[in-house]
Amino acid sequence: MTATGPTAAQSLALQVEDLHVSYGPKRAVDGVSLEINEGEIFGLLGPNGAGKTSTLSAIEGLLRPDSGSIRIGDVDAGANPTAAKARMGVQLQSTSFQSDLTIREIVRLYAGLYGVSLTRTGIDDLLADVHLSEEASKRFSQLSGGQQKRVSLFIATIHRPPMVLLDEPTAGLDPQARRQLWDRIERLRDIGRSILLTTHSMEEAQAVCHRVAIIDRGKLLTVDTPAGLIEKHKDDPRVRKAAHGQVTLEDVFIGLTGSELRD
Amino acid sequence: MSSQASAALGRPPTLSGILRALLQADLTVQLRNGRALVLTFLPPLALLYGLSAVKRGAQLGGPIVNVALALTLGIASIAILGYTASVVRDRELGVFQRLRVTPAPTWTIMVSRLSVQIVSMLAMAVVVLVAAAVIENVSLGPAAYLLTLLAVIFSSAVFLGVGQALVGLIKSADTVNAVGRLSYLPLFALGLFAHSTIFGTTFETIARWSPGGAVATLLAGAMRPAAWSGDTWWALLASVLYTVVFAGIGIRWFQWSTR
Repeated sequence: MTATGPTAAQSLALQVEDLHVSYGPKRAVDGVSLEINEGEIFGLLGPNGAGKTSTLSAIEGLLRPDSGSIRIGDVDAGANPTAAKARMGVQLQSTSFQSDLTIREIVRLYAGLYGVSLTRTGIDDLLADVHLSEEASKRFSQLSGGQQKRVSLFIATIHRPPMVLLDEPTAGLDPQARRQLWDRIERLRDIGRSILLTTHSMEEAQAVCHRVAIIDRGKLLTVDTPAGLIEKHKDDPRVRKAAHGQVTLEDVFIGLTGSELRD
Repeated sequence: MSSQASAALGRPPTLSGILRALLQADLTVQLRNGRALVLTFLPPLALLYGLSAVKRGAQLGGPIVNVALALTLGIASIAILGYTASVVRDRELGVFQRLRVTPAPTWTIMVSRLSVQIVSMLAMAVVVLVAAAVIENVSLGPAAYLLTLLAVIFSSAVFLGVGQALVGLIKSADTVNAVGRLSYLPLFALGLFAHSTIFGTTFETIARWSPGGAVATLLAGAMRPAAWSGDTWWALLASVLYTVVFAGIGIRWFQWSTR
């Protein structure tokens, strides 16, 4: 299954081809291919252990794939990982920063790592833009969950990357914080960023994603717009069995990936 | 984002910029960490004072050896307890993974950390040498001073290698801390008797070629350049071998994440 965008003429922000990732004998990603257009928000849905984070980790350069190719814009990530990383902004699933640094110092560190030169006033102005002025002198561990996610997203995009990767960005947030983060993700899209996010939330996938791919056991099962997925699979017997009335995206997800519990 | 003074816009940053950012952050963390500061200065000063205060201190080899042992303890404390604790804590928190998704080459992350540890060791050495002048009446000439600081850098490689091996072989932070404390005995305490026959010559020989013993001999030799001997060269060679073995193990099996 290849996830190709609906407008082939558009430039590609990310292109993954036939990606394979293994942990010893266990195959975590099995031939995943996907393409994300510039300015597109692409959602990767899957149960626990489906291969979402492994796919993202391979794109981020955290693990070396067994085979396959990854291109960030026109940069081959395998041949030039440093240039690829410079074009990506990453928010990891469980991220943390040096516990003895303040938020202002963390921003200065990551700005430096991406080659962004910022004065102290510049940092404070940027923190004010994302309503984190009062937190500038606090440690990361002193922030609420929502503030931590905001800081993570802010740092992920401090170098204005064309491609942003978000691994379960709203996991563990209350509805207000989740909505605020959706707004920020949509604002990134509005200024031309492409976003690949993983999520367990069907609501999130429907609310912010242009297209959604469902992944299970390392394979991409289906790709389309949220409405297109429902339309495409509404007559599948497995989906019909999962549905209670009108078919929803969650019914499609359960129908295609099964209802058994995953670790 | 409009107020950003200058942004990379997808261009890779310079290596010097990356190292500057990492060093600044790691140095800030080191200076702000009270435990690290205590581990840097208290154990060697306490040992130096203790060895000069007790009668049997003289039996360990005299004032120069006492100062060398204090320096060895300081280096071992910083590397085996301080360095390992910071690495395993940041590994468990996911700090390394966050750094690894930036354009910073992975070696810069470790070079920055190790450089800050070496700076701490040099600062400790200067304080101990100043204290030694007061407590043990050991004063060094400029050449001996510089040679001693150079020997501190060499010695730091031995114990930072040990620390790297610990965090390479063991994932759990609690286990690293426990094993780090236990490893003090063979790695440092044995070296206390590298220049003493209190427990017989066989024990002295074993102690002399332990990591702590080799480092103490090297440091004592550096403080007396005129008396630099074959033993000092052998201690230097032993230190290099220990560094290669321990650092090799630590680099080969090190994992950036606990997952």
